[in-house]
Amino acid sequence: MSLYLKYLSMHLKSELQYKMSFILSFISQFFTFFGYYFTILCLFNKFSNIKGFTVYEVLLTFSIVTFGCSFCEVFFRGMDQFDKLIVEGNFDRLLLRPRNIILQVFGEEINYVKLSRVLQSLVILVIALLNLNVEWNIYKVLTLLLMMLGSITLFLSLFTIAATYCFITVKGLEIRHVLTDGGKHLAQYPIGIFRKGFVLVLTYIVPFGFVNYYPLLYILGRVEKKVYIFSPITTILYLIVSLLLFYKGVKKYSSVGS
Amino acid sequence: MSFIEVKHINKTFKVPIREDGKFGAMKSFFNRKYRYINAIQDISFSIKKGEIVGYIGPNGAGKSTTIKILSGILTPDSGSVCIDKMTPWIDRKKYVSEIGVVFGQRSQLWWDIPAIDSFNLLKDIYKISDEEYEKTLNELIELLNLKDIMNIPVRQLSLGNRMKCEIAASLIHKPKILFLDEPTIGLDAVSKKAVRDFIKRINKTNNVTVILTTHDMSDIEALAKRIILIGKGSILYDGTIGKLKKNYDYLRKVKITTKDNIEIKRDYIINQVKIKDEIEFVIDIRKVELSDFIKAISSKISIIDIEIISNDIDDLIVRLYEEYKI
Amino acid sequence: MKSYLSYFNLKFKTGLQYRAAAYAGIATQLFFGIIYTSVYIAFYESNASNYPMELNKLISFLWLNQAFFSLMYLWHKDKDILAIIKNGNIAYELCRPQDLYLMWASKILGERLSMVTLRFLPVLIFALLLPFPYKLILKTSIPFFLLSIIALVLSTFLSTFLILLCHIICMFTLDEKGIVNIFMVTADILSGLVIPIPFFPSFLQKISNILPFRYVSDFPFRLYVGDINIREGIIGIIIQLIWIIILVIIGRILSKRALRKAVIQGG
Repeated sequence: MSLYLKYLSMHLKSELQYKMSFILSFISQFFTFFGYYFTILCLFNKFSNIKGFTVYEVLLTFSIVTFGCSFCEVFFRGMDQFDKLIVEGNFDRLLLRPRNIILQVFGEEINYVKLSRVLQSLVILVIALLNLNVEWNIYKVLTLLLMMLGSITLFLSLFTIAATYCFITVKGLEIRHVLTDGGKHLAQYPIGIFRKGFVLVLTYIVPFGFVNYYPLLYILGRVEKKVYIFSPITTILYLIVSLLLFYKGVKKYSSVGS
Repeated sequence: MSFIEVKHINKTFKVPIREDGKFGAMKSFFNRKYRYINAIQDISFSIKKGEIVGYIGPNGAGKSTTIKILSGILTPDSGSVCIDKMTPWIDRKKYVSEIGVVFGQRSQLWWDIPAIDSFNLLKDIYKISDEEYEKTLNELIELLNLKDIMNIPVRQLSLGNRMKCEIAASLIHKPKILFLDEPTIGLDAVSKKAVRDFIKRINKTNNVTVILTTHDMSDIEALAKRIILIGKGSILYDGTIGKLKKNYDYLRKVKITTKDNIEIKRDYIINQVKIKDEIEFVIDIRKVELSDFIKAISSKISIIDIEIISNDIDDLIVRLYEEYKI
Repeated sequence: MKSYLSYFNLKFKTGLQYRAAAYAGIATQLFFGIIYTSVYIAFYESNASNYPMELNKLISFLWLNQAFFSLMYLWHKDKDILAIIKNGNIAYELCRPQDLYLMWASKILGERLSMVTLRFLPVLIFALLLPFPYKLILKTSIPFFLLSIIALVLSTFLSTFLILLCHIICMFTLDEKGIVNIFMVTADILSGLVIPIPFFPSFLQKISNILPFRYVSDFPFRLYVGDINIREGIIGIIIQLIWIIILVIIGRILSKRALRKAVIQGG
């Protein structure tokens, strides 16, 4: 942990070398993000609901997903950009050090600019929460926290899977955007609005549903079962599997080379 | 048993063959064919503690594969490596804290901030105690004369100063073995000398074993007594430079300036070129004494000027490569 | 002229080599197509009336956008061009006997055309094979077809010149991250690629009718699906032409200025 903090401070120091560029990027990230937000507002300007979900319910789902994604893009950027490490041959350097490889991968890159998105998703989360008609209690607060943590865990897993793919080939890596960006788009809405096939995929293959749909139903009072509260925890399993795969990739890397 | 013991290591890479044609990419996606490349074959050597060894060979000979195996990044298909009682790729985490690696073409320093920050990070990575760190760092700063450049962002440093910092960074945890991959590439003469002197010095004072790969033969001449020459994945020569010279350095160029014309045919004359007033002979000194040759020639023509050029090590290596057809 | 053609050719042919990227791109486009159509279908199913566009027209429009996406999106960044701007090598470009503006234009055009060439057909075929209501319907009448083809060709140039303008602005800011990025994102939204223009609030629709961005993707494809009538179509094409001329003039003036600046600075 202390090593990771060291990495954080090193990256901050590097970033502060270019203050103006940092500020401009921070602002422009804010704008990029506004695009998604704008889409949802436009659509709800024309329609009153989507399969019974109102604008603030959708915004809640949306903010949970973007929070997790942008959080990972800030703090686990090294994993997101893992292909660079492989292509530029710098992964070897990490193997030459007597420390945990995943920690070092995280430390390779920290993207403070995207804190802008984390902030904005939190703002939208607050707006949504203030406008939702929910009777809050300790269970529902817990659910919300688990949703946020689950979202981080899930995106970290997706980043790790995409990184593991780099051990096989770095060709056509753009496909990872289907996994992360695509998933992000799809899971902006409560997955219940989609046809059955999607729901199954988003529950069992890329478990966005466990992060932003099933617990959401509990918060909104559409289901009462307490088991829904803990559904985001399943993402931990997903993370474990993806990390194991990653380690397997590291092994393969050292037997096959690049 | 020696400090570094490499026995019969092999490594084959599997490279997918790209198929051409319209649906080539599609075809190779479903039915991949592979080509096998023997990067290294049956390589064995041993190195004593405190030795400096030059590991040389043309591009693609298997140098970097060997270095990768020795530094624990790559696992060989067969064979064994034992370094300081460890197998690099098995005891990787423990092993790598005993080695330092410098890739001349890559950097381990953080580009935008001063080198001292990178050193501080390495202190944490290698879990070096404050005391120990302080001591080593001061030593390095003094030896490499880094005092004035430690607090300048790395991107603003000259190539020579950057390389000094790179080397310092790889020694901060006091490794027992130092791998240097083209450490003087792109450096000017002064920096080259500084880097070489430093390598010699830490080798002497700290008894650090140094394995050096380079294309710059003057590096080898200045640093390594022993060279290992590799070509097409196999070791071609392992021994001292002196012995190598004795065996292969038998050609001399003799440039004679004269107004006369002469044509000599002898078996020891390999080549003879005349440009204006200058005749250039290439002779084989195994077959004739140089002085005898000059005597013979001076009896036939009047010599205005004479110059004898001995080969530098580059020519020697080129000839070696030619001889082994690599 | 010949040299610009060869820049175009070079970029086009290089682009065709990136097969793996193309497969990934096709997959992405299909995926996003499915997401977008699904979301809109869900919205239409949950709300009885007041649709800004007919559903089948909307779905076809969305698929056409996806199929020609690589020709339409406006946040295109040319790595080579940005690199020479940032590292100051731009001064060397002056040593060449060519016009920088046209050279860059042909590079960008070549790259984008190569991308779309590899991608559009598989996306179209996939979308045609989908079941109703996800299906793309290509049926249109001859006047609409002809007009939209003209509009598509013009929009290809329009998007190229817009992107080129962004890169030229980078010559002043020396960085694509700040203002240029905001400009690109705004342009992207106002082009109707993120959400079709009819779904905009009415004041924004009016604004976007004046600006060039919607004439990149919104206009040609809505014309194709028949969401815009012939008269508006002809007016739209005239507006496209006017914008192309304006953009070229602005771009050339700015690029001359920027180059002068680069020379004074000494690169």
